[in-house]
Amino acid sequence: MLKYLVIQLDDTSVSFCHYPTADTAPRMISASDLRKGILFAMKENLNIQFVYPQRSLPDEYLSIIDSIDHTKIKPSTADDTSDADIVVIDGMEHAADVAWGSEQIYILRTGRARMQDIIPLIEHIKHIIKRLNIVITDIDTFTQHDFTTYAEVLHKTGEIVEKEYLAGNAVQINLLTDRMMLTSMNNCNAGHETLTLAPDGQFHICPAFYLESPDESCGDPENGVSIRNAQLYRLDHAPICRRCDSYQCRRCVWLNRHTTLEVNTPSHEQCVAAHIEREASRLTLEGIRRIGEFMPDVTIPEIDYNDPFEKHNNW
Amino acid sequence: MDYSIKETPESWQEGMAKNITFIVTKDCQLACKYCYLVGKNTKERMPWEVARQAIDYILDHEQDFPEESVIWDFIGGEPFLEIDLIDRICDYLKTEMFRRNHHWFDSYRFSFSTNGINYHEEKVQRFIAKNREHLSIGITIDGTERKHDMNRIWKVDGAERGSYADVVRNIPLWLSQFPDAGTKVTISSLDLPYIKESVLHLYALGIKEVNINVVFEDVWQSGDDRLFEDQLMSLADAIIDNDLYRHYACSFFSEDIGKPMDSKTDNGNWCGAGRMLAIDAAGDFYPCTRFAQYSLREKKAIKIGNIHDGINQNRLRPFLTLDRCTQSPQECIDCEMASGCAWCQGENYDAAETSTVYQRATAICKMHKARVRANNYYWNKLFRKLEQMGEERPQSKLTTVKC
Amino acid sequence: MKKLVGKVTVEERNEIRSLFERRNGLAELAKIIGDDETLYERLVTDMGTTGARFQQWWDKMAEKYDWEQTENGSWQIDFDSCEIYLTE
Repeated sequence: MLKYLVIQLDDTSVSFCHYPTADTAPRMISASDLRKGILFAMKENLNIQFVYPQRSLPDEYLSIIDSIDHTKIKPSTADDTSDADIVVIDGMEHAADVAWGSEQIYILRTGRARMQDIIPLIEHIKHIIKRLNIVITDIDTFTQHDFTTYAEVLHKTGEIVEKEYLAGNAVQINLLTDRMMLTSMNNCNAGHETLTLAPDGQFHICPAFYLESPDESCGDPENGVSIRNAQLYRLDHAPICRRCDSYQCRRCVWLNRHTTLEVNTPSHEQCVAAHIEREASRLTLEGIRRIGEFMPDVTIPEIDYNDPFEKHNNW
Repeated sequence: MDYSIKETPESWQEGMAKNITFIVTKDCQLACKYCYLVGKNTKERMPWEVARQAIDYILDHEQDFPEESVIWDFIGGEPFLEIDLIDRICDYLKTEMFRRNHHWFDSYRFSFSTNGINYHEEKVQRFIAKNREHLSIGITIDGTERKHDMNRIWKVDGAERGSYADVVRNIPLWLSQFPDAGTKVTISSLDLPYIKESVLHLYALGIKEVNINVVFEDVWQSGDDRLFEDQLMSLADAIIDNDLYRHYACSFFSEDIGKPMDSKTDNGNWCGAGRMLAIDAAGDFYPCTRFAQYSLREKKAIKIGNIHDGINQNRLRPFLTLDRCTQSPQECIDCEMASGCAWCQGENYDAAETSTVYQRATAICKMHKARVRANNYYWNKLFRKLEQMGEERPQSKLTTVKC
Repeated sequence: MKKLVGKVTVEERNEIRSLFERRNGLAELAKIIGDDETLYERLVTDMGTTGARFQQWWDKMAEKYDWEQTENGSWQIDFDSCEIYLTE
């Protein structure tokens, strides 16, 4: 069931996920389509997330946006991020310029080349922020060496987080702390719970699908949603994921399609990354529980694989 | 005391063997009307160098192919048009499997599905003699002359010409070399009135196993299911009344079909796509030949690698994790006659609304149900007869035919 | 005439089937091995070894199971059922 509508205000709206921010000429959604999208969300009871480009929007747009309760996702490089609910740092090189605070959620997009920089960054902001979501943008091309590095980075980050929790500061880092608090899958769910209204006035599975295949729309606000093979976006139709307990996994259907040609099938790399995060979460949780009870309903059993696919012959 | 060995069964190493298919040519002498190969042509012939590199890749990666046995399969178009290439490939395979001490040297077959037209030719016969102990050759003959010639026609301009006479002359030679060989018959809408006579005709030719299936494509007309059911019941009568069931088998009749299936314990995939490997003339790898471009009407080919870069394991994951229920509509999951209802992953993909292998095509639904009704009739009649004769129930020789 | 005289285990069946397949493979390889002397010598040695192992299997099984035999008879194995038949 749909719950969220992402409205991509411009082709160059900042990416908050695995896909790259478009490096094309700006193209804003029309004011008319924006109104239609908002009306659709109101009638369908959907939460709206507006995704902003770096450049400022005309006043007319701001007033239309303000007509509905919503979440603002803005790039950290935008002129004014003070009203953003979520600030996206699109590359580690922008991290130094962020005015970190406790009122906003942060998304950091970074690739393997600067993974190591995550550790000092978290050391620096752990007392300032409440939550940081980290998106490793090039996970689909990770090698074994990259996975080793990733595990080391998360292990060290886990040690920082553990100390903070023991000191009473429950800072949230998605890759580590989400799994510690989840008892079922909590994925992106694009195409199932979330849909995107793109600048072309059409619905798309998510901004990545729109940017990659603009012709493959799935309805519009006037005619409604029309997702072909919609069941394939649901967890129960994902043979690998439905057996998995890396609940924090983003389960990115765009990456799935990109790597395996099927939206319901993750790549080996996506699974391994999720399991490295799971293992780091397990160790962090274990460390926190050494001192006292924490999230007693959550269990993260120790497992002997990094990719559930390895077990498919036993299913 | 001397000893001898009984021949290995025809369904050789089922479930234990890797099937590796060389698409040696996309050319064929025939232009069969029901052929799913929409992109046949005379240009795409596999060069020797591509075949050699494919073999080297496969044998170099023994750990990635742990199956106990291998079936080296050759298809076209018509594979025997490329008999020189095939002969060279097989010689190289034998030599290299032995040279590398590969575990498949102790368990391999060369398999062919041919239209039978040049079966008698010297080069083909020389190849057969040379590889006799490792061959499995199926000749496709569709039944009576009129049934065969309705679909299996020569690729020529001008007046339509059937190929029956050119095939049937080679059946005695084929059966003398492979007495237990079966043939594969394909049924499309126009063929339905000729099923009974065709199966009986094949039996009369000495072919003891007739593997027969209706096409998966959406070609079925209103009333076809009734016609199909009538033909099968009539065939059932002929088989039972003439005691043909003792020595002949027809895959339409199987005790195992037409039952509900448990969504947990009986949830396997029907098709072996992804567990097989097909290689085309360009050196590209496919999960099955049905995913090569020449087999697809609507969709883009699904390549899973090539001879230079190897196999992209991520591309295989959807195939290897496919199960029955995830790809089936609820109607199929709940179906009371589900068992034995087949599908072809390639046809599923080609007919799907989106680019996915996870949407089962259901064009054969009413034909399967007709088959189940006739099948029930067959077994009820046969068991009653056996009971009255005081005989035990025989085991059906064949189960259903998988692609 | 063909008479069921015994049965071997699946493991024993697998062993003789593998030797049977290898013997056939070596025989067909022998028809095509050309100028490669090293490979040819390996093949000849292998044929000898495989043939001997083949015979040893029957000798070992005959002793183990003490199958019925006749003067002009021969034993035959059904690879599907693992059954041993006496044929004349």
